[in-house]
Amino acid sequence: MQLNESTYETIFLLYIDKELSPKEGLEVEAFIADNPSYALEMEALQATVLSSEKIQYPFKENLKHQDWEPTYSTIIKEDLQAIPGLSTSFKNTLKKDATTEGIILKPFGFSQQKFTYAAIAACLMVFLGYQQLTKAPVSNSIAANKTTLVVPNTNSTKPSDEIGLSNASPEKFAKVNVLVPKINQVQKLNVQAVNAKNIQRINLLQKESIAMAETAPANISINQNVITKLPSNYNNPISVNAIPIIITSIDIETAIEEHGQISYEVIDTEDPNRSIFIANFEIDGNKLRGLKRKVTSLFKNNKSDRK
Amino acid sequence: MTDKAYNDCVDNFADGVYRFIVKNIRHTEDAQDIVQSAFEKLWINREQVLPEKAKSYLFTVAYHQMIDHIRKTNKMPLSEDTFIPHQQITQADEELKQVLMRAINELNPIQKSLVLLKDYEGYSYQEIGEIMHLSESQVKVYLHRARLILKNKLSAYAPTAS
Repeated sequence: MQLNESTYETIFLLYIDKELSPKEGLEVEAFIADNPSYALEMEALQATVLSSEKIQYPFKENLKHQDWEPTYSTIIKEDLQAIPGLSTSFKNTLKKDATTEGIILKPFGFSQQKFTYAAIAACLMVFLGYQQLTKAPVSNSIAANKTTLVVPNTNSTKPSDEIGLSNASPEKFAKVNVLVPKINQVQKLNVQAVNAKNIQRINLLQKESIAMAETAPANISINQNVITKLPSNYNNPISVNAIPIIITSIDIETAIEEHGQISYEVIDTEDPNRSIFIANFEIDGNKLRGLKRKVTSLFKNNKSDRK
Repeated sequence: MTDKAYNDCVDNFADGVYRFIVKNIRHTEDAQDIVQSAFEKLWINREQVLPEKAKSYLFTVAYHQMIDHIRKTNKMPLSEDTFIPHQQITQADEELKQVLMRAINELNPIQKSLVLLKDYEGYSYQEIGEIMHLSESQVKVYLHRARLILKNKLSAYAPTAS
């Protein structure tokens, strides 16, 4: 470090900022002692240094992390002091029960977050219920017929094709397995293939289409497979593929007329008086429909807003 | 950092951080908010902050929040609190201190923060550079400029005082 006319100011600034080593600091002090004219310069620079000033942050305690939380016994103890009418023995009883520390009792034990989840779940249930409301109930009239079973053959288009269940595809087995338990006594099973167009209509009838349910019995002559009898000790529907089969053909309209079964229920989904049941709760279908429209419009609005 | 170490930081550094901020922005409520935000951030990141770095961390966070605050509010410097060189003197030392503070308040925010961190907190150039995201040489140059400005302000005041 070389102190002279051109470097003194920088070195003095480093000195007042305490950025010099002790040895360098002594050199500066010696330089000032040898050159008193620089003492005023040093004094002027030191005057720019702020002196220490005590300023307190007023809310220091609020910044601290609080470990302490009131325990059950603490709450009980404080509350008991506030109730003058209670007898001492009763207070002692409560204190004994309150000796277990640790858990803070929260009112109702239900947080805001839980309420939110419950509300979302309830809305979801209502929405799903409405979805079910708008669907037609599956008509089981044919399947419920105790003497008639429809076993469609979707692979064959020839009405004269005859197939045994032992040669049928797994799809056919599945249909048979569902329907067979409804039959009490069947000894022979007649299966006749029907054309694919009629089969599709039958399937729709069995599932959920109300419109098809209305039109199918009137317009279509549907061939079906009929299981007339099963052995009395028959329990396992899977074993049906081992049963001897005799194929006959019955018109479905005839079967319905003979057995007097109700085919399908025509449901008007736009009926405002229709209600939906979720567990034991009955929900007004009209109001639910309005709610759905509002929710749907809300989502649409959000989507359009984003766009 | 443990909970206890955090509470120790509150005890040891809250006043210093508050002084640094309130001297800079000269608004107590805003300064308190900034200090609270700085400690909140320290609490959130306490697992990553070493206790020996906590003070520097607090000043760094508080400084940058203060800069954001200044940019948002555009409050600096206050026009009614400007430096007056030829003010009457009642008590020389107290008045000199007030004059110096007024002169400091006329500095730009960076120079002002440099002076406050250096004089109040005693940070080195390197530490100040880490807090303010400046190089050590930048800190040195900016601080020396600020000192010379203050010196000139005070010398303008001195003839009247004498």
